[in-house]
Amino acid sequence: MKVVNLLAVVEQDKCRGCRICEFVCPVVAIKMENRMAVIDNGRCRGCAACEQRCPEYAISMVKREQPVFVKVDVSAVDYTQIEELCTKAKFNPEQLICYCTATRAEEVAAAILQGAESPEELSYLTGVRTGCKVECIQPLLRLLAAAGIEPRRPKDGWQWYGKTVTVWEIPEEVKQKYASRGFYFDEDIELLNRIVEAPLQGRSDT
Amino acid sequence: MHSPLVPIPPRASQYGIEPELVKTRVSELPRMTSVLLKELFPDLPEVIYPSSEGLDAIRKASVAALQKVDMSKIKPEHSVNILASHHGFTLLGGEPYAELLRTIRDVVEARTGCHNIRLRAGVGLRFRETEEYIKRYGLDKDFNGKAIGVAPIDQGIAIETEIGTLYGIKKVYDADWIIHAHNSDVREVHFHRQVDRAVKPFGMSYARIETRSTYHQNLGPRAANFTARAIFDSPFVQSKFAFAAFLTMAPNGIVGVDVDSNLYALNDRVTEIGCRYYGKMMTLLGEIDECIAALDFPAPAVYVFSAGVIYANFAGANTDLYDLELPLPAYTWYTESFYGKLGRPLLDEIPPMNKAIKMTVHNYAWTGYPCAFFTEHIPTVVVGQEQAELFNRDPQNLNYMKHAVVSESTEDAMEFAYKASGTRKVIVFDGAMGGINVSEPLAELLLKKAPEVSERVEETLLPKWLRQRGVRL
Ligand code: SF4
Ligand code: SF4
Repeated sequence: MKVVNLLAVVEQDKCRGCRICEFVCPVVAIKMENRMAVIDNGRCRGCAACEQRCPEYAISMVKREQPVFVKVDVSAVDYTQIEELCTKAKFNPEQLICYCTATRAEEVAAAILQGAESPEELSYLTGVRTGCKVECIQPLLRLLAAAGIEPRRPKDGWQWYGKTVTVWEIPEEVKQKYASRGFYFDEDIELLNRIVEAPLQGRSDT
Repeated sequence: MHSPLVPIPPRASQYGIEPELVKTRVSELPRMTSVLLKELFPDLPEVIYPSSEGLDAIRKASVAALQKVDMSKIKPEHSVNILASHHGFTLLGGEPYAELLRTIRDVVEARTGCHNIRLRAGVGLRFRETEEYIKRYGLDKDFNGKAIGVAPIDQGIAIETEIGTLYGIKKVYDADWIIHAHNSDVREVHFHRQVDRAVKPFGMSYARIETRSTYHQNLGPRAANFTARAIFDSPFVQSKFAFAAFLTMAPNGIVGVDVDSNLYALNDRVTEIGCRYYGKMMTLLGEIDECIAALDFPAPAVYVFSAGVIYANFAGANTDLYDLELPLPAYTWYTESFYGKLGRPLLDEIPPMNKAIKMTVHNYAWTGYPCAFFTEHIPTVVVGQEQAELFNRDPQNLNYMKHAVVSESTEDAMEFAYKASGTRKVIVFDGAMGGINVSEPLAELLLKKAPEVSERVEETLLPKWLRQRGVRL
């Protein structure tokens, strides 16, 4: 869930058409027209990735006159399905997976169950990954994988490269090799498993 | 009691308010005093900076330390990337780290005849932060225009590791050799838990978002830093690694410069100094029973410094951050993510934020790091409407001001905090060098508790912490 109060604006005479903004936009809101960046205002989620990476300083963030409220309705989906999907991806449905926008796993799961098929669609629908733009890519890829979806990367883009290892998948020999160096793999698995199974707080029947 | 120490001045940055808007520093207010860290812990090491020698001491120590490392692999026709991180520039005003970077460049060029030496400076979550430092310290000129800031959303490169594919920033690795230029300051103990501290940038400021997300979301609070080791140990990174050069830090300043081509040997030294000296300081701060925390430093709220300790660690000082038997500190991103919809932890064993912090006065701190968890759990007064507005415009802090109130001046904010909290103890996170700015009642408490804390760390805690990390003295 996110209140989008900013909008990216390109100063056309500074733009040199390098496409970097297009490669980093987490919702694919930027297209090149006549070798110049053009922003789809309705799609922009105000994350400032483009503004922060444009080498020409051609993009600025302006306050939107009307903030846009971005949220997926969790109640529109059978909650048992949400729980199943989150558990399969090893998240508690109430676990926050995006600290900046305070988006919980259940909302992303609901978006997937309603048809979202890529991290970019999830960011567009829920606002996830439009705050720091860094920390929440793996939860999105894990939830999509749990739903059996293999998302396609935006063509030429740097939005994301691939899903990585989770602690449950660390090879036994790696755990053994580093057991005395302060890495508590099995203990963390035990902790995270208990988080996954922890009772929900937000349901009236719990 | 001493007069307050001079705080680090505000810095012009896109992530903070204009320096002119910071009209009063908390340490300037009545009844503020300071305690020297050596008064608290007389065994703290002697420092080379700050000292009367100034930056010359850093250059001399760097040259001497670089002398012992083999650079014969670097040929005149090669390219070298000196890898830096934003963190170093937040230490003691930033100049010492900039001087280390310049010295490495000059020595490598003189010793090897290689001229293609670049600076690649990674960041946390403020993607233009090192770009600002490169300009501020003239590093673009020192590196003949070959100094750039790199960010985790820049083009990536796949790195095969023993735990599968992870991703680095392509421009970090686009040279024949890399030199890892860092520091031993502990900073985020809540995240790395002093495990492989010296290796961490390979999984963080030199890494792409996929890797950083693996650290913070996939591996768990005590396995997280393995991402850094996995990347560093990969054949790809090993084929480029020349050596590491670190500013060795203690809470009271820079102790020296450590250069080694064996990063793990350097890491063991870093672990010891981190556990011993910073461990004492954090344990002492954990003894504070009640206080107002004043944030007054050019960095995001979590990273403002007092006695070499960041505010994020003070917020978790109610637990032993170094004890790996404790899975979750009161604040880490794992902890934050484990709060359910009713605002309570999902597991009863999750510790609350440090209850000793009765109120926070946010006099001056930057945006560019998600900090809403702090205002949600600790009553906070932000000084100045301009600062409040800056947070409302930060995509990472859209909820920060939802839980904070705004005061017109530092004086008003502190008066309110005194009245509302009922405590006269104040700790100021303003980066004062060699000491800590506090109110008189807190100075008395710290001086009283320090000897017992020192003994407890030396005799009980330090041996346990080092054992947990496989480090032998
Ligand atoms: S990053 Fe900047 S210069 Fe490059 S295409 Fe986008 S707006 Fe234009
Ligand atoms: S969503 Fe972010 S990167 Fe995309 S156009 Fe908007 S501000 Fe720029």
